[in-house]
Amino acid sequence: MLEVQHVCKTWVSPQGEARALLVDASLRVAAGQTVAILGPSGSGKSTLLKIIAGLEAVDSGAVLFDGQPITHVPPEQRHFALMFQDFALFPHLNVQDNVAFGLVEQGVRKSAAREQAHAMLQRFGMQAFGTSRVWLLSGGEQQRVALARALITRPRVLLLDEPFSALDADLRVQLREEFKTHMATAAMAVLWVTHDETEARAVGGSGLRLFQGRFERVW
Amino acid sequence: MRSRSPALYLLALFPLAFLLVVMVAPAARLVAEGWTPAGGVDTGAGAHAGLFTVWQDPYLRWRMAWSFLQAAATCVAALAIGLPVAWVLARFEFAGRAWVLRFLMLPFVVPTLVAALGVLALLGPHGLLVQSGGADLQGTPWLLLYGNLFFNLCLVVRAGTDALGQVSASRLAAARTLGATPWRAFWRIEWPTVAPWMMSALCLVFLYCFAGFGLAMVLGGAGYATAEVEIYTLVAHELQLRQAAVLSLWMLLLTSLVALAYAAIERRLAAPGRSDGVARHRPGTVGQWAAVVGALLALVCFCAAPLMAIAWRAMFSGAFGWAFMAGVMTDEDTLLALWNTARFTALSLVLATALGLAHALAAQRSLALRALVFLPFVVSPVMVAFGLLLLYPRWSGSFWLLVCAYALLAYPFVAKAVASSLDSMPQNYLFAARTLGASPWRAFRRVTLPLLMPSLRRGMAFAAATAVGEFAVSLFLSRPEWVTVTTLIYRYLGRPGAANLDAALLLACVLLVFTMLVFAVIEWPGQKERHA
Repeated sequence: MLEVQHVCKTWVSPQGEARALLVDASLRVAAGQTVAILGPSGSGKSTLLKIIAGLEAVDSGAVLFDGQPITHVPPEQRHFALMFQDFALFPHLNVQDNVAFGLVEQGVRKSAAREQAHAMLQRFGMQAFGTSRVWLLSGGEQQRVALARALITRPRVLLLDEPFSALDADLRVQLREEFKTHMATAAMAVLWVTHDETEARAVGGSGLRLFQGRFERVW
Repeated sequence: MRSRSPALYLLALFPLAFLLVVMVAPAARLVAEGWTPAGGVDTGAGAHAGLFTVWQDPYLRWRMAWSFLQAAATCVAALAIGLPVAWVLARFEFAGRAWVLRFLMLPFVVPTLVAALGVLALLGPHGLLVQSGGADLQGTPWLLLYGNLFFNLCLVVRAGTDALGQVSASRLAAARTLGATPWRAFWRIEWPTVAPWMMSALCLVFLYCFAGFGLAMVLGGAGYATAEVEIYTLVAHELQLRQAAVLSLWMLLLTSLVALAYAAIERRLAAPGRSDGVARHRPGTVGQWAAVVGALLALVCFCAAPLMAIAWRAMFSGAFGWAFMAGVMTDEDTLLALWNTARFTALSLVLATALGLAHALAAQRSLALRALVFLPFVVSPVMVAFGLLLLYPRWSGSFWLLVCAYALLAYPFVAKAVASSLDSMPQNYLFAARTLGASPWRAFRRVTLPLLMPSLRRGMAFAAATAVGEFAVSLFLSRPEWVTVTTLIYRYLGRPGAANLDAALLLACVLLVFTMLVFAVIEWPGQKERHA
């Protein structure tokens, strides 16, 4: 169970102007549950994901996993995965090595990690692209690789930042359905942010809106 | 994650300590030497009157005035020639345009002495111009002005081409539909956009020319040497350290003012550029083709001709005869110079790379630290060397002091290249690596460093070119047995006879080949690197 308790975060511009992004924000996501966070651009959705991933510090409040506080645990020790809006695939590595990246960091031998990456790519129908450069892939293919890379280490929590926003409308529907299938088998806590309520409802689970730094239940 | 980690502050200590010991403290010592009254005794009011001897002595006054004049004249000429050339390159598409843009990098890596020899081979006593019935320009100011343009015209053209790429196509179209002629549209829309870029480039041109040493030493002669050459003469030949320090003080003051102007303009240029740039088109009229041909001719005349003249002179003189080549290349002095150049370059490159990487990484999100990268550009090599001599007289013949001075001049190239690459690297790469289980060090080693490699290689190539072509510091700080290829060329040039000139030409060709290799490293990244 992932818990965010009374988190406050203020963003300070380079000019020194402060703006409250999260004000006493709290939420809970259980294993196997999918929660969508809705809100307009700049409302603090991405900051929330970074706080949960350990990439941003909170001003106050706490993040817990299975009851244990992890607010000050560095990101590499949380065993969460964050998928970025632009996918953040490493351009100096091929598709297979991108997917294997997290396994190598867990101490798996490179050859074994590559084998597992190949198997994971097979699940996503991307096995033919293992040695391809990531910049040669289409938007949809990059999205699949990014999801494969996020899932291969079996993270405890999957965080997704606008995962479909970089795709065209047709591909978005197709990948949304694929995403639902993968999530149904993964049985992990999934928290994803989007500004598109229709899309969020189509994925299912529950939906919260981030409004003036606090969460409101939408469905 | 966004706050600066203590590790970055620790990392900053390395380049900061280096700058303090090798540049700031020697410069301060230089200022103190110039400021303190003669004999070191402050006798009260008027004690600093010695500071103004530079302006009271007609000889030194001319040196300062000429330094200023030749730099200002170069700026005017570079703008007058460079802006039209840049406009042609920015607005027209023609076969070979990409090659021309690449070629504009070449003068940045050509050693000063090679350029000086090229100018002599073209316009000097036995140069191409004389042989084709023209005048011998030795002893005139034109040699130095032409040499200045060789180095700086490309800088202005590159800045102009980049700046013209920022001009908004829609604004230009709006101006035309509102009745502006092409010339009026240029003057009212394009020029206001490019002016700050040109001013920034001209500040650099002024700095390079005003504090120039190698070109002025070889091409200026007795009549048109600059203040930097005078400082060297006062220190090395006349042992007038105090007068040299006073002259250095004034030079430092003036270069600092120009550097401040440059920094102020650069800050304005930090705003993001426009995306609706003017599309290039193929020249359609005779006038447009004439403009393209004119621009290319200008670049050949000012930027390619000296290098072609060196090759031509070497080819048709005795320099490329097998016996002569074998004689020069196996000569004890040449072998020693090659060995010294190689080891000074290798050692300073290692130090410069470490310093540049540390400085660039530490300077992320710190404007103050970033500004310090420019310090070695503000203080000329002559002043660095003179300051080191004054502050560390016991180490004046120290091997490591020489290597440190080389590294000081070379490392800003590494730092600048890596800092730009870090700026353009999406932060999400690092975030992705961290959430995938990489510690900060592992994320740096597996993601940041591989992505920095292309820019690091470019920076190192510039640094290597700087070290190989280094001349001023070598003259000041090295011992006779530490002769480098550049100082050997200078030695040959100072000796009478055609054989000595041929030997200098041959060695210049060796440096030129090295320059071409560096140029290839800089301008031909692999497909993988381009995408990375």
